[in-house]
Amino acid sequence: MAAALHDTPPAPGSGLGGEPISEAEALARLRQTDDQSAQYYAAWWLGRMRSQHPEAVPLLRAALAQRQPRDPAAGVEHNAVARNAARALGKLGDAAAIADLLAALDDDDDGLREAAARALGELRAAEAVSPLRRRLASGPAGAGAPRPDSPRLQEPCEALLEALGEIGVASGEVLAVIEPFTAHDRPLIRSAACRALLQLSGDPRWAEPLLQLLQDPQLQVRRAALMDLGAVGWRPALEPICRTLAENSLKLIALRGLVENGGQHGDDPGPVLTAMDALL
Amino acid sequence: MTTSATTSDLIRAVEQASSAEAMLLATVRLADAASKRPEQAAVDCLVGVLGFNNPGAAVAAVEGLIRLGEMAVTPLLSQLDPRNYGARAWAVRALAGIGDVRGLELLEEALASDVGPSVRRAAACGLGQLKLKGLPPGQRVEVSSRCLEALVAGQEDGEWVVRYAVVVGLERLVGQFEGSGDGLARARTTLAGLADPGREAVPVVRLRAGLALENLPG
Repeated sequence: MAAALHDTPPAPGSGLGGEPISEAEALARLRQTDDQSAQYYAAWWLGRMRSQHPEAVPLLRAALAQRQPRDPAAGVEHNAVARNAARALGKLGDAAAIADLLAALDDDDDGLREAAARALGELRAAEAVSPLRRRLASGPAGAGAPRPDSPRLQEPCEALLEALGEIGVASGEVLAVIEPFTAHDRPLIRSAACRALLQLSGDPRWAEPLLQLLQDPQLQVRRAALMDLGAVGWRPALEPICRTLAENSLKLIALRGLVENGGQHGDDPGPVLTAMDALL
Repeated sequence: MTTSATTSDLIRAVEQASSAEAMLLATVRLADAASKRPEQAAVDCLVGVLGFNNPGAAVAAVEGLIRLGEMAVTPLLSQLDPRNYGARAWAVRALAGIGDVRGLELLEEALASDVGPSVRRAAACGLGQLKLKGLPPGQRVEVSSRCLEALVAGQEDGEWVVRYAVVVGLERLVGQFEGSGDGLARARTTLAGLADPGREAVPVVRLRAGLALENLPG
Protein backbone atom coordinates (compact mmCIF):
# COMPACT_ATOMS: atom_id res chain seq x y z
CA MET A 1 0.00 0.00 0.00
CA ALA A 2 2.72 2.41 0.97
CA ALA A 3 4.32 2.31 -2.46
CA ALA A 4 1.64 4.50 -3.96
CA LEU A 5 2.09 7.03 -1.20
CA HIS A 6 5.86 7.24 -1.40
CA ASP A 7 5.79 9.54 -4.37
CA THR A 8 5.46 12.46 -2.03
CA PRO A 9 7.96 15.23 -1.40
CA PRO A 10 10.97 14.42 0.76
CA ALA A 11 10.60 13.84 4.44
CA PRO A 12 11.62 16.35 7.07
CA GLY A 13 15.34 16.47 7.49
CA SER A 14 16.03 16.99 3.80
CA GLY A 15 16.16 20.62 4.86
CA LEU A 16 15.23 21.75 1.39
CA GLY A 17 11.49 21.54 0.98
CA GLY A 18 10.18 21.04 -2.51
CA GLU A 19 12.01 23.79 -4.36
CA PRO A 20 12.35 23.30 -8.13
CA ILE A 21 15.87 22.38 -9.26
CA SER A 22 17.34 21.37 -12.61
CA GLU A 23 18.43 17.87 -13.53
CA ALA A 24 22.06 19.03 -13.63
CA GLU A 25 21.67 20.44 -10.12
CA ALA A 26 20.13 17.19 -8.87
CA LEU A 27 23.01 15.15 -10.32
CA ALA A 28 25.57 17.53 -8.77
CA ARG A 29 23.89 17.32 -5.37
CA LEU A 30 23.85 13.54 -5.51
CA ARG A 31 27.50 13.36 -6.62
CA GLN A 32 28.88 15.31 -3.65
CA THR A 33 28.89 13.49 -0.31
CA ASP A 34 29.44 16.26 2.26
CA ASP A 35 25.80 17.27 2.53
CA GLN A 36 23.64 14.19 2.90
CA SER A 37 20.40 16.13 3.09
CA ALA A 38 21.17 17.52 -0.38
CA GLN A 39 21.84 13.99 -1.60
CA TYR A 40 18.59 12.80 -0.07
CA TYR A 41 16.57 15.41 -1.92
CA ALA A 42 18.47 14.81 -5.18
CA ALA A 43 17.80 11.06 -5.08
CA TRP A 44 14.11 11.68 -4.55
CA TRP A 45 14.06 14.27 -7.34
CA LEU A 46 15.67 11.97 -9.92
CA GLY A 47 13.12 9.24 -9.20
CA ARG A 48 10.16 11.55 -9.13
CA MET A 49 11.15 13.18 -12.44
CA ARG A 50 11.92 9.78 -14.02
CA SER A 51 15.34 11.12 -15.04
CA GLN A 52 16.75 9.45 -18.13
CA HIS A 53 20.17 11.06 -17.78
CA PRO A 54 22.93 8.44 -18.27
CA GLU A 55 24.55 9.44 -14.97
CA ALA A 56 21.41 9.07 -12.90
CA VAL A 57 21.48 5.29 -12.40
CA PRO A 58 25.27 5.04 -11.73
CA LEU A 59 25.05 7.85 -9.15
CA LEU A 60 22.01 6.30 -7.49
CA ARG A 61 23.76 2.93 -7.33
CA ALA A 62 26.70 4.60 -5.59
CA ALA A 63 24.30 6.32 -3.21
CA LEU A 64 22.64 2.98 -2.46
CA ALA A 65 25.96 1.83 -1.00
CA GLN A 66 26.18 4.78 1.41
CA ARG A 67 25.48 4.16 5.08
CA GLN A 68 24.60 6.71 7.72
CA PRO A 69 23.28 6.60 11.27
CA ARG A 70 19.85 7.78 12.26
CA ASP A 71 19.62 11.37 13.47
CA PRO A 72 16.32 11.73 15.31
CA ALA A 73 17.04 15.36 16.26
CA ALA A 74 17.20 16.35 12.59
CA GLY A 75 14.40 13.95 11.63
CA VAL A 76 16.80 11.91 9.47
CA GLU A 77 16.13 8.17 9.17
CA HIS A 78 18.77 5.45 9.20
CA ASN A 79 20.51 5.20 5.80
CA ALA A 80 18.25 7.91 4.48
CA VAL A 81 20.22 8.51 1.27
CA ALA A 82 20.48 4.81 0.45
CA ARG A 83 16.76 4.29 1.05
CA ASN A 84 15.83 7.14 -1.26
CA ALA A 85 18.30 5.89 -3.86
CA ALA A 86 16.60 2.47 -3.77
CA ARG A 87 13.18 4.08 -4.21
CA ALA A 88 14.41 6.13 -7.15
CA LEU A 89 16.06 3.12 -8.82
CA GLY A 90 12.69 1.37 -8.72
CA LYS A 91 11.16 4.21 -10.68
CA LEU A 92 13.86 4.56 -13.32
CA GLY A 93 13.24 1.11 -14.76
CA ASP A 94 16.89 0.23 -15.45
CA ALA A 95 17.75 -3.44 -14.89
CA ALA A 96 21.38 -2.46 -14.24
CA ALA A 97 20.30 -1.64 -10.69
CA ILE A 98 18.93 -5.10 -9.89
CA ALA A 99 22.16 -6.67 -8.56
CA ASP A 100 22.72 -3.80 -6.10
CA LEU A 101 19.11 -3.90 -4.96
CA LEU A 102 19.36 -7.65 -4.37
CA ALA A 103 22.37 -6.98 -2.16
CA ALA A 104 20.39 -4.32 -0.28
CA LEU A 105 17.68 -6.92 0.32
CA ASP A 106 20.18 -8.61 2.66
CA ASP A 107 21.11 -5.45 4.57
CA ASP A 108 20.78 -5.33 8.35
CA ASP A 109 18.60 -2.23 8.08
CA ASP A 110 15.03 -3.40 7.58
CA GLY A 111 14.01 0.01 6.26
CA LEU A 112 16.53 -0.38 3.46
CA ARG A 113 15.32 -3.93 2.83
CA GLU A 114 11.82 -2.55 2.56
CA ALA A 115 12.80 0.12 0.01
CA ALA A 116 14.85 -2.41 -1.99
CA ALA A 117 11.96 -4.91 -2.05
CA ARG A 118 9.56 -2.30 -3.37
CA ALA A 119 12.05 -1.22 -6.03
CA LEU A 120 12.63 -4.82 -7.15
CA GLY A 121 8.86 -5.21 -7.41
CA GLU A 122 8.60 -2.10 -9.58
CA LEU A 123 11.42 -3.43 -11.78
CA ARG A 124 9.57 -6.79 -12.07
CA ALA A 125 12.89 -8.44 -11.17
CA ALA A 126 12.34 -12.21 -11.43
CA GLU A 127 15.78 -12.69 -9.82
CA ALA A 128 14.32 -11.30 -6.60
CA VAL A 129 11.65 -13.98 -6.21
CA SER A 130 13.87 -16.52 -4.41
CA PRO A 131 15.42 -14.07 -1.93
CA LEU A 132 12.01 -12.51 -1.22
CA ARG A 133 10.55 -15.95 -0.65
CA ARG A 134 13.41 -16.85 1.71
CA ARG A 135 12.83 -13.70 3.76
CA LEU A 136 9.18 -14.67 4.25
CA ALA A 137 9.61 -18.44 4.59
CA SER A 138 9.47 -18.46 8.40
CA GLY A 139 5.85 -17.29 8.13
CA PRO A 140 3.72 -15.04 10.32
CA ALA A 141 5.29 -16.38 13.53
CA GLY A 142 8.85 -15.74 12.28
CA ALA A 143 9.21 -13.04 9.65
CA GLY A 144 5.82 -11.69 10.70
CA ALA A 145 6.44 -11.60 14.45
CA PRO A 146 6.39 -8.18 16.14
CA ARG A 147 9.71 -6.91 17.44
CA PRO A 148 9.99 -6.46 21.17
CA ASP A 149 11.48 -2.97 20.82
CA SER A 150 9.40 -1.35 18.09
CA PRO A 151 6.06 -1.51 16.31
CA ARG A 152 7.78 -3.03 13.29
CA LEU A 153 7.82 -6.70 12.38
CA GLN A 154 10.95 -8.85 12.07
CA GLU A 155 10.80 -8.40 8.31
CA PRO A 156 9.17 -5.62 6.26
CA CYS A 157 6.46 -8.13 5.33
CA GLU A 158 4.12 -5.73 3.61
CA ALA A 159 6.78 -4.67 1.10
CA LEU A 160 8.09 -8.22 0.58
CA LEU A 161 4.59 -9.58 -0.09
CA GLU A 162 3.69 -6.75 -2.42
CA ALA A 163 6.91 -7.18 -4.36
CA LEU A 164 6.15 -10.86 -4.97
CA GLY A 165 2.74 -9.86 -6.31
CA GLU A 166 4.19 -7.17 -8.58
CA ILE A 167 6.91 -9.38 -10.02
CA GLY A 168 4.23 -11.84 -11.04
CA VAL A 169 5.88 -15.25 -10.80
CA ALA A 170 2.84 -17.36 -9.87
CA SER A 171 4.55 -20.63 -8.94
CA GLY A 172 3.15 -22.97 -6.31
CA GLU A 173 6.14 -22.23 -4.07
CA VAL A 174 5.50 -18.50 -4.17
CA LEU A 175 1.78 -18.88 -3.45
CA ALA A 176 2.52 -21.27 -0.58
CA VAL A 177 4.84 -18.76 1.10
CA ILE A 178 2.36 -15.90 0.80
CA GLU A 179 -0.82 -17.71 1.86
CA PRO A 180 -0.13 -18.01 5.62
CA PHE A 181 0.13 -14.22 5.83
CA THR A 182 -3.58 -13.93 4.92
CA ALA A 183 -4.16 -14.97 8.55
CA HIS A 184 -1.68 -12.49 10.09
CA ASP A 185 -2.87 -10.55 13.14
CA ARG A 186 -2.39 -7.19 11.43
CA PRO A 187 -4.94 -6.20 8.80
CA LEU A 188 -2.32 -4.35 6.71
CA ILE A 189 -0.34 -7.56 6.33
CA ARG A 190 -3.46 -9.56 5.47
CA SER A 191 -4.30 -6.92 2.88
CA ALA A 192 -0.84 -7.12 1.29
CA ALA A 193 -0.98 -10.93 1.20
CA CYS A 194 -4.44 -11.01 -0.41
CA ARG A 195 -3.36 -8.39 -2.90
CA ALA A 196 -0.34 -10.45 -3.96
CA LEU A 197 -2.37 -13.66 -4.20
CA LEU A 198 -5.10 -11.96 -6.21
CA GLN A 199 -2.50 -10.50 -8.58
CA LEU A 200 -0.76 -13.81 -9.01
CA SER A 201 -3.74 -16.18 -9.19
CA GLY A 202 -6.72 -14.02 -10.18
CA ASP A 203 -8.70 -16.20 -7.78
CA PRO A 204 -11.72 -14.19 -6.51
CA ARG A 205 -11.54 -15.79 -3.06
CA TRP A 206 -8.61 -13.44 -2.31
CA ALA A 207 -10.71 -10.42 -3.28
CA GLU A 208 -13.32 -11.10 -0.62
CA PRO A 209 -11.09 -10.27 2.40
CA LEU A 210 -9.93 -7.07 0.66
CA LEU A 211 -13.53 -6.00 0.09
CA GLN A 212 -14.22 -6.64 3.78
CA LEU A 213 -11.21 -4.54 4.78
CA LEU A 214 -12.81 -1.60 2.93
CA GLN A 215 -15.25 -1.55 5.86
CA ASP A 216 -12.66 -1.82 8.61
CA PRO A 217 -13.22 0.62 11.48
CA GLN A 218 -9.69 2.00 11.04
CA LEU A 219 -9.21 4.54 8.25
CA GLN A 220 -5.60 3.44 7.75
CA VAL A 221 -6.79 -0.10 6.94
CA ARG A 222 -9.51 1.08 4.57
CA ARG A 223 -6.91 3.18 2.77
CA ALA A 224 -4.58 0.21 2.41
CA ALA A 225 -7.34 -1.99 1.00
CA LEU A 226 -8.23 0.76 -1.49
CA MET A 227 -4.65 0.96 -2.70
CA ASP A 228 -4.35 -2.82 -2.87
CA LEU A 229 -7.51 -3.32 -4.93
CA GLY A 230 -6.30 -0.54 -7.24
CA ALA A 231 -2.89 -2.19 -7.61
CA VAL A 232 -4.58 -5.43 -8.65
CA GLY A 233 -7.04 -3.63 -10.91
CA TRP A 234 -9.93 -5.68 -9.54
CA ARG A 235 -12.86 -4.27 -11.55
CA PRO A 236 -15.63 -5.93 -9.48
CA ALA A 237 -14.47 -3.68 -6.61
CA LEU A 238 -15.78 -0.55 -8.34
CA GLU A 239 -18.97 -0.16 -6.32
CA PRO A 240 -17.44 -1.10 -2.95
CA ILE A 241 -14.58 1.36 -3.56
CA CYS A 242 -17.04 4.18 -4.28
CA ARG A 243 -18.93 3.41 -1.06
CA THR A 244 -15.82 3.30 1.16
CA LEU A 245 -15.50 5.94 3.86
CA ALA A 246 -12.20 7.53 2.85
CA GLU A 247 -10.88 10.60 1.06
CA ASN A 248 -11.86 11.00 -2.58
CA SER A 249 -8.16 11.45 -3.41
CA LEU A 250 -7.46 7.86 -2.41
CA LYS A 251 -10.55 6.48 -4.11
CA LEU A 252 -9.43 8.22 -7.30
CA ILE A 253 -6.00 6.56 -7.07
CA ALA A 254 -7.71 3.19 -6.56
CA LEU A 255 -10.03 3.73 -9.51
CA ARG A 256 -7.11 4.80 -11.68
CA GLY A 257 -5.66 1.41 -10.78
CA LEU A 258 -8.86 -0.35 -11.85
CA VAL A 259 -8.61 1.34 -15.25
CA GLU A 260 -4.88 0.89 -15.80
CA ASN A 261 -4.27 -2.49 -14.17
CA GLY A 262 -7.61 -4.12 -14.78
CA GLY A 263 -8.04 -4.20 -18.53
CA GLN A 264 -7.06 -7.84 -19.12
CA HIS A 265 -10.51 -8.99 -20.07
CA GLY A 266 -11.27 -6.15 -22.42
CA ASP A 267 -13.82 -4.76 -19.97
CA ASP A 268 -15.17 -1.35 -20.85
CA PRO A 269 -13.51 1.22 -18.55
CA GLY A 270 -16.46 3.58 -19.08
CA PRO A 271 -18.19 2.90 -15.74
CA VAL A 272 -14.93 3.45 -13.84
CA LEU A 273 -14.34 6.77 -15.60
CA THR A 274 -17.91 7.85 -14.81
CA ALA A 275 -17.29 7.02 -11.15
CA MET A 276 -14.01 8.98 -11.20
CA ASP A 277 -15.74 12.04 -12.69
CA ALA A 278 -18.21 11.97 -9.81
CA LEU A 279 -15.41 11.98 -7.20
CA LEU A 280 -13.60 15.06 -8.48
CA MET B 1 -33.07 16.34 19.46
CA THR B 2 -36.63 16.40 18.20
CA THR B 3 -37.84 17.13 14.69
CA SER B 4 -39.12 20.46 15.88
CA ALA B 5 -35.61 21.68 16.77
CA THR B 6 -35.21 25.24 15.63
CA THR B 7 -32.32 26.46 13.52
CA SER B 8 -30.83 28.17 16.56
CA ASP B 9 -30.97 24.87 18.52
CA LEU B 10 -29.17 23.15 15.66
CA ILE B 11 -26.57 25.90 15.47
CA ARG B 12 -26.00 25.71 19.21
CA ALA B 13 -25.45 21.96 18.89
CA VAL B 14 -22.71 22.61 16.32
CA GLU B 15 -21.09 25.31 18.45
CA GLN B 16 -21.16 23.21 21.60
CA ALA B 17 -20.16 19.85 20.11
CA SER B 18 -17.61 18.30 22.42
CA SER B 19 -16.13 15.70 20.07
CA ALA B 20 -15.34 15.35 16.38
CA GLU B 21 -18.15 12.85 16.04
CA ALA B 22 -20.70 15.06 17.79
CA MET B 23 -19.65 17.92 15.52
CA LEU B 24 -20.14 15.77 12.43
CA LEU B 25 -23.59 14.68 13.57
CA ALA B 26 -24.65 18.22 14.47
CA THR B 27 -23.38 19.54 11.13
CA VAL B 28 -25.28 16.89 9.18
CA ARG B 29 -28.47 17.80 11.06
CA LEU B 30 -28.01 21.51 10.50
CA ALA B 31 -27.22 21.02 6.80
CA ASP B 32 -30.30 18.83 6.33
CA ALA B 33 -32.56 21.27 8.13
CA ALA B 34 -31.12 24.22 6.19
CA SER B 35 -31.78 22.61 2.84
CA LYS B 36 -35.48 22.36 3.77
CA ARG B 37 -35.63 25.70 5.58
CA PRO B 38 -32.86 27.97 4.32
CA GLU B 39 -31.81 30.61 6.84
CA GLN B 40 -28.82 32.93 6.73
CA ALA B 41 -27.75 32.03 10.26
CA ALA B 42 -27.46 28.37 9.24
CA VAL B 43 -25.37 29.30 6.20
CA ASP B 44 -23.02 31.36 8.34
CA CYS B 45 -22.64 28.52 10.81
CA LEU B 46 -21.90 25.99 8.04
CA VAL B 47 -19.25 28.33 6.60
CA GLY B 48 -17.79 28.52 10.11
CA VAL B 49 -17.53 24.71 10.25
CA LEU B 50 -15.13 24.81 7.28
CA GLY B 51 -12.55 26.39 9.58
CA PHE B 52 -12.81 23.87 12.44
CA ASN B 53 -10.21 21.38 11.15
CA ASN B 54 -12.76 18.54 11.22
CA PRO B 55 -12.74 16.91 7.76
CA GLY B 56 -15.88 14.82 8.29
CA ALA B 57 -17.91 17.83 9.41
CA ALA B 58 -16.40 19.96 6.64
CA VAL B 59 -17.55 17.45 4.00
CA ALA B 60 -21.08 17.60 5.44
CA ALA B 61 -20.96 21.40 5.54
CA VAL B 62 -19.72 21.60 1.93
CA GLU B 63 -22.55 19.33 0.79
CA GLY B 64 -25.06 21.43 2.70
CA LEU B 65 -23.67 24.69 1.27
CA ILE B 66 -23.84 23.30 -2.27
CA ARG B 67 -27.51 22.43 -1.73
CA LEU B 68 -28.13 25.94 -0.43
CA GLY B 69 -26.54 27.31 -3.58
CA GLU B 70 -26.60 30.99 -4.37
CA MET B 71 -27.29 32.26 -0.85
CA ALA B 72 -24.06 30.63 0.36
CA VAL B 73 -21.80 32.44 -2.11
CA THR B 74 -21.40 35.79 -0.35
CA PRO B 75 -20.72 34.26 3.07
CA LEU B 76 -18.21 31.86 1.49
CA LEU B 77 -16.35 34.72 -0.15
CA SER B 78 -16.56 37.25 2.66
CA GLN B 79 -16.24 35.27 5.87
CA LEU B 80 -13.12 33.38 4.94
CA ASP B 81 -10.03 33.81 7.02
CA PRO B 82 -7.28 33.98 4.38
CA ARG B 83 -4.78 32.56 6.89
CA ASN B 84 -6.83 29.41 7.42
CA TYR B 85 -5.69 27.22 4.54
CA GLY B 86 -8.05 24.35 5.37
CA ALA B 87 -11.11 26.60 5.38
CA ARG B 88 -10.11 28.12 2.05
CA ALA B 89 -9.70 24.69 0.48
CA TRP B 90 -13.16 23.62 1.60
CA ALA B 91 -14.63 26.89 0.35
CA VAL B 92 -13.13 26.25 -3.10
CA ARG B 93 -14.87 22.86 -3.13
CA ALA B 94 -18.18 24.43 -2.10
CA LEU B 95 -17.93 27.20 -4.71
CA ALA B 96 -16.97 24.68 -7.39
CA GLY B 97 -20.09 22.70 -6.58
CA ILE B 98 -22.40 25.73 -6.44
CA GLY B 99 -21.26 26.98 -9.83
CA ASP B 100 -22.00 30.66 -9.22
CA VAL B 101 -19.85 32.99 -11.37
CA ARG B 102 -18.95 35.09 -8.33
CA GLY B 103 -16.62 32.24 -7.38
CA LEU B 104 -14.68 32.52 -10.66
CA GLU B 105 -11.71 34.43 -9.31
CA LEU B 106 -11.17 32.13 -6.36
CA LEU B 107 -11.40 29.07 -8.64
CA GLU B 108 -8.90 30.58 -11.10
CA GLU B 109 -6.47 31.32 -8.28
CA ALA B 110 -6.92 27.90 -6.76
CA LEU B 111 -6.27 25.97 -9.98
CA ALA B 112 -3.24 28.10 -10.79
CA SER B 113 -1.52 28.11 -7.45
CA ASP B 114 -3.08 26.17 -4.59
CA VAL B 115 -0.58 23.79 -2.97
CA GLY B 116 -3.16 21.03 -2.46
CA PRO B 117 -3.80 18.79 -5.48
CA SER B 118 -7.29 18.00 -4.21
CA VAL B 119 -8.10 21.72 -4.15
CA ARG B 120 -6.73 22.28 -7.68
CA ARG B 121 -8.73 19.22 -8.75
CA ALA B 122 -11.97 20.66 -7.37
CA ALA B 123 -11.23 24.06 -8.91
CA ALA B 124 -10.65 22.56 -12.37
CA CYS B 125 -13.91 20.72 -12.15
CA GLY B 126 -15.71 23.84 -10.91
CA LEU B 127 -14.37 25.96 -13.78
CA GLY B 128 -16.22 23.64 -16.12
CA GLN B 129 -19.54 23.98 -14.40
CA LEU B 130 -20.12 27.66 -13.65
CA LYS B 131 -23.71 28.47 -14.52
CA LEU B 132 -23.57 30.72 -17.57
CA LYS B 133 -27.25 30.63 -18.43
CA GLY B 134 -29.05 33.80 -17.43
CA LEU B 135 -25.93 35.98 -17.61
CA PRO B 136 -25.89 38.87 -20.07
CA PRO B 137 -24.30 37.68 -23.34
CA GLY B 138 -21.19 39.83 -22.95
CA GLN B 139 -20.46 38.50 -19.48
CA ARG B 140 -21.17 34.96 -20.61
CA VAL B 141 -18.46 35.22 -23.25
CA GLU B 142 -16.02 36.79 -20.80
CA VAL B 143 -16.60 34.21 -18.07
CA SER B 144 -16.39 31.23 -20.38
CA SER B 145 -13.19 32.47 -21.97
CA ARG B 146 -11.59 33.03 -18.56
CA CYS B 147 -12.60 29.49 -17.54
CA LEU B 148 -11.14 28.17 -20.77
CA GLU B 149 -7.82 29.99 -20.29
CA ALA B 150 -7.52 28.74 -16.71
CA LEU B 151 -8.20 25.16 -17.79
CA VAL B 152 -5.81 25.34 -20.75
CA ALA B 153 -3.06 26.47 -18.36
CA GLY B 154 -4.02 23.64 -16.00
CA GLN B 155 -2.99 21.00 -18.56
CA GLU B 156 0.59 21.59 -17.37
CA ASP B 157 -0.19 20.66 -13.75
CA GLY B 158 2.28 18.17 -12.27
CA GLU B 159 -0.42 15.97 -10.70
CA TRP B 160 -2.26 13.49 -12.88
CA VAL B 161 -5.51 13.90 -10.98
CA VAL B 162 -5.55 17.63 -11.67
CA ARG B 163 -4.96 17.05 -15.39
CA TYR B 164 -7.78 14.49 -15.29
CA ALA B 165 -10.04 17.13 -13.72
CA VAL B 166 -8.93 19.64 -16.38
CA VAL B 167 -10.17 17.20 -19.04
CA VAL B 168 -13.53 16.84 -17.29
CA GLY B 169 -13.73 20.62 -16.75
CA LEU B 170 -13.07 21.29 -20.44
CA GLU B 171 -15.64 18.73 -21.50
CA ARG B 172 -18.27 20.36 -19.30
CA LEU B 173 -17.30 23.88 -20.34
CA VAL B 174 -17.58 23.24 -24.09
CA GLY B 175 -21.01 21.75 -23.43
CA GLN B 176 -22.04 25.31 -22.49
CA PHE B 177 -20.28 27.10 -25.39
CA GLU B 178 -22.55 28.83 -27.83
CA GLY B 179 -21.16 29.11 -31.31
CA SER B 180 -17.70 30.38 -30.34
CA GLY B 181 -15.55 28.41 -32.76
CA ASP B 182 -12.21 29.67 -31.43
CA GLY B 183 -12.87 28.47 -27.90
CA LEU B 184 -13.96 25.09 -29.14
CA ALA B 185 -10.82 24.76 -31.26
CA ARG B 186 -8.63 25.67 -28.28
CA ALA B 187 -10.37 23.14 -26.09
CA ARG B 188 -9.92 20.52 -28.79
CA THR B 189 -6.16 21.22 -29.08
CA THR B 190 -5.75 21.00 -25.31
CA LEU B 191 -7.65 17.72 -25.11
CA ALA B 192 -5.68 16.33 -28.04
CA GLY B 193 -2.45 17.09 -26.16
CA LEU B 194 -3.74 15.32 -23.06
CA ALA B 195 -4.74 12.31 -25.18
CA ASP B 196 -1.30 12.10 -26.84
CA PRO B 197 1.01 9.36 -25.49
CA GLY B 198 4.02 11.47 -26.54
CA ARG B 199 2.95 14.26 -24.17
CA GLU B 200 0.82 12.71 -21.44
CA ALA B 201 2.40 9.89 -19.45
CA VAL B 202 -0.62 8.74 -17.45
CA PRO B 203 -2.89 6.27 -19.27
CA VAL B 204 -6.11 7.12 -17.45
CA VAL B 205 -5.72 10.82 -18.31
CA ARG B 206 -5.18 9.96 -21.99
CA LEU B 207 -8.17 7.63 -21.97
CA ARG B 208 -10.45 10.27 -20.44
CA ALA B 209 -9.17 12.95 -22.83
CA GLY B 210 -9.85 10.65 -25.78
CA LEU B 211 -13.39 10.13 -24.55
CA ALA B 212 -13.88 13.90 -24.16
CA LEU B 213 -12.65 14.43 -27.73
CA GLU B 214 -15.19 11.92 -29.01
CA ASN B 215 -17.94 13.73 -27.13
CA LEU B 216 -16.98 17.14 -28.50
CA PRO B 217 -19.69 18.86 -30.51
CA GLY B 218 -19.13 19.37 -34.23
